[in-house]
Amino acid sequence: MKIEGTHELHASPERVYETLIDPTVLQRCIPGCERLEKTGENAYSTTLRAGVGSIKGVFTGNVRLEEMQPPRRFRMIVEGKGQPGFLKGAGDLEIEAREGLSIVKYTGEVQVGGTIAGVGQRMLQGAVKMMSTQFFTAIEAEAKTESHEPPPKHGFFRTALRWFSGLLRRMFRRTITSAKL
Amino acid sequence: MIPAQFDYLTPKTIDEAVGLLAQHPDEAKILAGGHSLIPAMKLRLAVPQVLIDLGRIKDLAYIREEGGQIRIGAMTTHYQLESSGRLAEICPLLPACAAQIGDVQVRNKGTIGGSVAHSDPAGDWPAAVIALGAEIVAVGAGGERVIKATDFFVDMLTTALLPGEILREVRIAMPGGRFGQCYLKVPQPASGFAVVGVAVHLTRASGGSCESAGVGITGVASKVYRASAVEQAITGSGLDEQAVAAAAAHATDGVSVNGDLYASEAYRRHLAQVYTRRAIEAAAARAH
Repeated sequence: MKIEGTHELHASPERVYETLIDPTVLQRCIPGCERLEKTGENAYSTTLRAGVGSIKGVFTGNVRLEEMQPPRRFRMIVEGKGQPGFLKGAGDLEIEAREGLSIVKYTGEVQVGGTIAGVGQRMLQGAVKMMSTQFFTAIEAEAKTESHEPPPKHGFFRTALRWFSGLLRRMFRRTITSAKL
Repeated sequence: MIPAQFDYLTPKTIDEAVGLLAQHPDEAKILAGGHSLIPAMKLRLAVPQVLIDLGRIKDLAYIREEGGQIRIGAMTTHYQLESSGRLAEICPLLPACAAQIGDVQVRNKGTIGGSVAHSDPAGDWPAAVIALGAEIVAVGAGGERVIKATDFFVDMLTTALLPGEILREVRIAMPGGRFGQCYLKVPQPASGFAVVGVAVHLTRASGGSCESAGVGITGVASKVYRASAVEQAITGSGLDEQAVAAAAAHATDGVSVNGDLYASEAYRRHLAQVYTRRAIEAAAARAH
């Protein structure tokens, strides 16, 4: 399965990059992340309780970051397995600066197998989009916080609220831009 | 294919069910018809520790006309809605939608409340209740709350129901005037789920032009959505061929379309536009 997406974050590329490779931040931001441990240089092992609604499963896996070019891009290699199935994949993440924003683009190819791929196939892409939106909304909140400040809190409602205010902001800006034209 | 162990509770009243749910806030799931939840449990994709079965509550399966509304109890089965002669007269979209769900077994056991509360991104009822501008009645420890259908479906398998709330009733304003309805669906041949499903409810003004339109689309995105751009484009038009086609072209505006092994993103987008056009045409032909 091909996955791709673009997220617009209100923070500098440097802060976004720092946040994306900081294991303590990632543990707070990845939906359902219960454990994230460093196992080597840019390599981590993790336990995720991932899912949507009542459909949930526990996955254990490894994440490795490669070809790191701060603050522009890195490559991520992921493999994991759990009772509902397994996944294996690699993807590229790029950060582009535009008008004080960071545009994060990711593309990747993931192989999913087991029960989740068999019966959940029709929902996989939607679930990935939903979780990546939650993740990048949390990352944005982290990246906006200076390193000496206490970290922001994440939860379903806070994340939803942030997502909604971001949406309003984007719609508002679009209106202004089109009014200018 | 054997579920993990769970406790099974059978409240006799809705208040008792709300109380039991409050006692097990994190580990309990509400069981309605069980035709989405039980298969997920058998595959161990869902592992609730407690099931609260609404099946023993007597007064939750009904179709009533009250206060200018059609009120449908959460435990009303798809078959009861499909076979209601009265609904076929006053709101034919409901039996038409019910008739296209799954197979006979699913329709005999599955319920409208279960389907709406599950918020499957390819569920049939969510599209119909959005098109009809329905209201969803939730009951919790603090009493009842009415939620608009357009606000109810938050995301894939996620609704506006709060923890501790149970969906009790679906309310639909009694269709009036020169109205026409249609539910049109491309079923996935194996599962029967909508690859694309379009529900339309529209009314004509006395001159014949489109006075109002509700369009709900399922199967296309992470959640069932209201096609507002289509509704705006068609409202006020003469419902002629060009106007309908132009409006239907907006079927996936602002929506992130999903693809899977059966239907790619581009194919789904195309199907959504074609079926939206056909569903509006059919509804318009019935509005006289």
